[in-house]
Amino acid sequence: MSAQATKNCITLKGSAQIIAEYLKYGINSILFQRGIYPAETFESTQQYGLTILMSKDPKIEEFLKKVLEQTEEWLGKNMINKVSMVITNAHTKEVLECWDFKMNAELGDGETIDPQKLTSSKELKRIQNEIRDVMRQISATVTYLPLLDCICTFDVMIHTLQTCDIPESWDETGPAFIQNAQAVQLRSFSTGLHKVDTVVNYKMSS
Amino acid sequence: MEDIKTSLDKILAKFNDSVSHSAPKKLTFEHLSDSFNDSGTIPKKRRLSQSFEDNGLNISLNTSNVSLNSSAAPPPSPWETRRMKADLIEARTRISKLKQEVERLHKLRQESETLYESRVSELKKQCEFSSNKIQDLEKHMQLLRKREHAAKQDLIKAQSDLQQQKHGYEEVIIKLQRAKHEVEENARLVQNSMANELGEYKRHAEKIELELELSCDELESLRSQMDDLKSKACCYDDLKLDNEKVNQELENANQRIKELEFEIASYNDWKEITKNSQDRLLSIPNMDKELERLRSNNKHLQELLGNKLLLEEQVYDLRSRLEREEGARSEVVALQVQLKHAQEEVKEWVKVAQDHCSPNMLVSPLALRARIEELLQHDVLMASEKNTKASESKTMESELLDYKQKCEIYSKNMEELNVALKRHKAFKDRVQKKLLLVSKERDCYKQLLENFEKDLTISNPIAPDLSSTENQLKTRIEMLEKTLVGYKDMCASLEKELNTAKSLPNSDPTGDQSSVNMSVDANATGYEHFKKELDTLRMENERLRRRKEELELELEHRCLKGDFNMEKYKVVHMRLNPANEAYENADNLIEKLQAEIERLKRKNKKLEEDNEVTQARLNETTNITMNFKEINQLRGELESMNSKMKKMKECYKSASMEFREVVYMLFGYRIDRVGSNTNYKISSMYAEDPDHYLNFRLNESNMLDMLETPYSATLKSLIETQLVGNKSLPAFLSALTLDLFQKATITLS
Repeated sequence: MSAQATKNCITLKGSAQIIAEYLKYGINSILFQRGIYPAETFESTQQYGLTILMSKDPKIEEFLKKVLEQTEEWLGKNMINKVSMVITNAHTKEVLECWDFKMNAELGDGETIDPQKLTSSKELKRIQNEIRDVMRQISATVTYLPLLDCICTFDVMIHTLQTCDIPESWDETGPAFIQNAQAVQLRSFSTGLHKVDTVVNYKMSS
Repeated sequence: MEDIKTSLDKILAKFNDSVSHSAPKKLTFEHLSDSFNDSGTIPKKRRLSQSFEDNGLNISLNTSNVSLNSSAAPPPSPWETRRMKADLIEARTRISKLKQEVERLHKLRQESETLYESRVSELKKQCEFSSNKIQDLEKHMQLLRKREHAAKQDLIKAQSDLQQQKHGYEEVIIKLQRAKHEVEENARLVQNSMANELGEYKRHAEKIELELELSCDELESLRSQMDDLKSKACCYDDLKLDNEKVNQELENANQRIKELEFEIASYNDWKEITKNSQDRLLSIPNMDKELERLRSNNKHLQELLGNKLLLEEQVYDLRSRLEREEGARSEVVALQVQLKHAQEEVKEWVKVAQDHCSPNMLVSPLALRARIEELLQHDVLMASEKNTKASESKTMESELLDYKQKCEIYSKNMEELNVALKRHKAFKDRVQKKLLLVSKERDCYKQLLENFEKDLTISNPIAPDLSSTENQLKTRIEMLEKTLVGYKDMCASLEKELNTAKSLPNSDPTGDQSSVNMSVDANATGYEHFKKELDTLRMENERLRRRKEELELELEHRCLKGDFNMEKYKVVHMRLNPANEAYENADNLIEKLQAEIERLKRKNKKLEEDNEVTQARLNETTNITMNFKEINQLRGELESMNSKMKKMKECYKSASMEFREVVYMLFGYRIDRVGSNTNYKISSMYAEDPDHYLNFRLNESNMLDMLETPYSATLKSLIETQLVGNKSLPAFLSALTLDLFQKATITLS
C-alpha cells in the first residue's frame, strides 16, 4: 500500500488510490464469481487477507489498468458520482447485471476547507478490514444472483460531473437500465474522504 | 643457558641469605656482571649512597665528637652554641635528606627486584621451553639415527643383492656365449651338409634334364602318330554319314511306296465314287423334271394358301359385320320401344297442347310454346307484382312500427306531462299554501306595524294617563297575544309542512328547495356540500400523499438502481472496452454463421435435388432401393451370370467350332464371316490355292448375293449353268466341289 499514510494520515490522492485498488480487486472478483470469463484465465492472489482471483487475460488487464488510472485521477478531484460495472449479454446487448460503486465525498478530519488538503486519520488497517467485508459479500452474492447462462461481457461506466473533461479514447454513453430489476445494497466502506457504497442490480429471472 | 640458570640460582641463594639477615635486604650482582652489563650502575650508586652514609656517619660522629668535645670543654659561648645549633639543624636536614635518599633507593631496589623476578620467571619459562625442545630434538635425533641405521642395512642388503644379480647375469652371459658357440658350430656343420646336398641336387638336375630331352623326342613322335589317327577318323565319319544318307533314302523310298499303295487303294474308292456320281448325274434331268413339277405344285399350293387367307379374311370380315348387324338389330328393337314411348308422350303432349291452346287454334308445338311463353310472361309479371306488394307491405309495416313507436313516445310524453301536471298542481297547492302563509305573515307584520304605530301614536302625544297606559298595555298584550297565536299557527303550519315534506319522497327535491324552509334547506345542503367537499379534499389529500410516497419509493429505488440526474452527471466509458469487442465478435460470429447457414442450405438443396434425381431414377428402374444388401446380391448374381455366360460362350464356341468342322467335313466348304456382319467367305476343301474363295452377302430380304472375287471370275461357266440356269446356290457349290475334287484327283493321279 503506497497510500500516503505517514503519520496515519490519508490524503485525497491516497484515498483515490485505495478505492481504485478496491475497484480492481472487486471487478476481477466479480468477473470470476459471475463466470463472465473462463475460470482457467484467472490466477489467485492474496489481498485484504483473502484469496482473490485475478484475470490473466492481457486485454482485460490493460483495460482495467487504463480505466482505473483515469478513475483514480478523477476521484482525486472528487468528480465521480459512481462507477458502474455493467454485465451484458454479448449477443443481445441486454443489460443483465449492474454493479454500482457509489462514491460519496466525506470531509475526513475536517481540519481544513481546501479540498486538496483534506486528510483522514483513519487507520489503513481498518479501511482494509472494511473492504475485506465488502469483498466477502461480493463473493457471497453468487448464492442469490441469477445464473448467467449466456455468453456475457462487461463494461465499466463512470458517472462523472458534467464539467469533467473526457480524455481521448473515452466516449460519452447512456446509463445502463435493467428491465424488471432487483437491487441489493452491500456493505459500504469509507476511507474518511470517500464513502463507497456497493450496490448490485440484477434482472429478476421470470 | 645452563650458565644463566646456575647464575640465577646463585643470585636467588644470595638473595635468600640476605633475607634471613636483619640487615636491610640487598642483592649482590657480582655474579650477574657477566650477563648484565648495565647493572653496574646500581652498585656504583650503592657505593655512592654508602659513601654518603659513611659521610653522614662521619659527620654525626664528628658532631658527636664535637658534642662530646663541647661537653668536655668549658661551656660554650652563645655564638658557639648558636653555631652548633645551626650545625645541628644542618645535620638534621642532611639526615632527613639522606633518609629520603635511602627510601628512594629502597624503592628503586624493590622495583628492580620485581623486574628481575619477572625476568627470571620469563627466563625460566624460556629455559623450560628450550629444554623441552632439546628433548624433542634428541628424540628426533634418535629416530633419525635409527632410520639411518635401517637405511644403511638396506643399502648393504641392496649391494649384496646387486652383487648376487651381477654374478647371476655373468653366469647367464657365459652360458649364452657357450650356446652361441654351439649354435655357430651347428651352423657350420649345416653349411657343410648343405653344400654337399647342393652338389648332389645339381647332379640330379642334370640327370633329369637329360630325361626331359628324351621324353620331348618321344612326344613329337606320338604327335605325328596322332595326326595320322585323326585323318583316319575323318574318313570314318564321312563313311558313316554316307551310310546314314543311304538309310534315309531307303526309308523315304519305303514311305513313298506305302503312299503310292495307299493312293492306289484310294483311287479304287474314287473310281467307285465317280461311278456313283456319274449315275447321279445321269439322273439329274429326271430330277429337274421332278423339281419343275414340284415347283409348280408348290406354286399351286402357295396360291391355294393365298386363297385360303383371303377366305379367312372374308370370313372374319363377315363375322364382324354379322356382330355389328346383331348389335344394330338389338338397337333397332330398343329404338322401336323408345319410339313407341315417344309417340305416346307426343300424344300426351298433343293432348296437353289441345287442353291449353285456344280451341280454334291449330294444335302445334309452336302454339304450345307461345302459350307457355305467354304464361311465363304472365308469371313474371305476377312475380314482379308480388314483389312490389311485398315491399309495400314491408314499408307499411315499418310505418306501422314507426307509428307505434311514436304513439309510445306520445303516451310517454303524455304520462310525463301528466306527472308534470300533478307536480305543477302540487306546486300550485304549495304555492297557495305559501301564499297563505305569506299573507298571514304579512298580516302579522301589518298588525305588528300597526301596534308599533299605535305605540308611537300613544307615546307621541305624551299623555301619561294611568288608564290609558293600562289600556295601552292591555291592547298591547292582546296584540302580542294575537301575534303569538299567529306565530303559533305559523309554527304549526310550518311543522305540518315539514312533516309533509318529510313524508314526501325525495322525488321532487326542487319542490323542497323551493319550499318555505328553503333557507334551512339551503343551509343544510351547504353544510352537506361543504362536508362532501371536505371529504373529497381529504381523500384527494390522502391519495396525493400515497402517490407522493410511492414516487419517493420509486425515486429511491431508481436511485439505488442506477438512475441518476442526467443534468448533473454524465456517463463515460472507454471506447475500447471488452463489451464492444465482444459485441463485434458476436456480430462477426453471427455473420459467419449466417453465411455458413446459407452455404449449408444451398448444399442441402443441391443434395435434395440430387436425391430426387436419384430417387426418380431409382423409381424408373423398377423401384429398386439401393440397399447395400441388394447391391451385393446383385453383384453376386452378376458374377455368377458372367461366369455362366463365359461357360456358355466357351460351350458355344466349341460347339460352333465343331459345327463348322462338321460342315466343312460334310459339305467341303469352310464358311468364314468376314468384316461387316453379312459378308461370308467360302473356301472349298479342294481349292488349289488359299486365295481361291467366294464371297456372299446376305441382303435385307434374307437372300444371298454373290460378290465378285478374283476366283469367281474364273468360274463363269459354272455360274452361268448353275446360278443363272438353275438359280440354285447349293447346286452351284456342289458342282464346284465336284469340279475341284476331280481336278485334285487328276493332279494326284
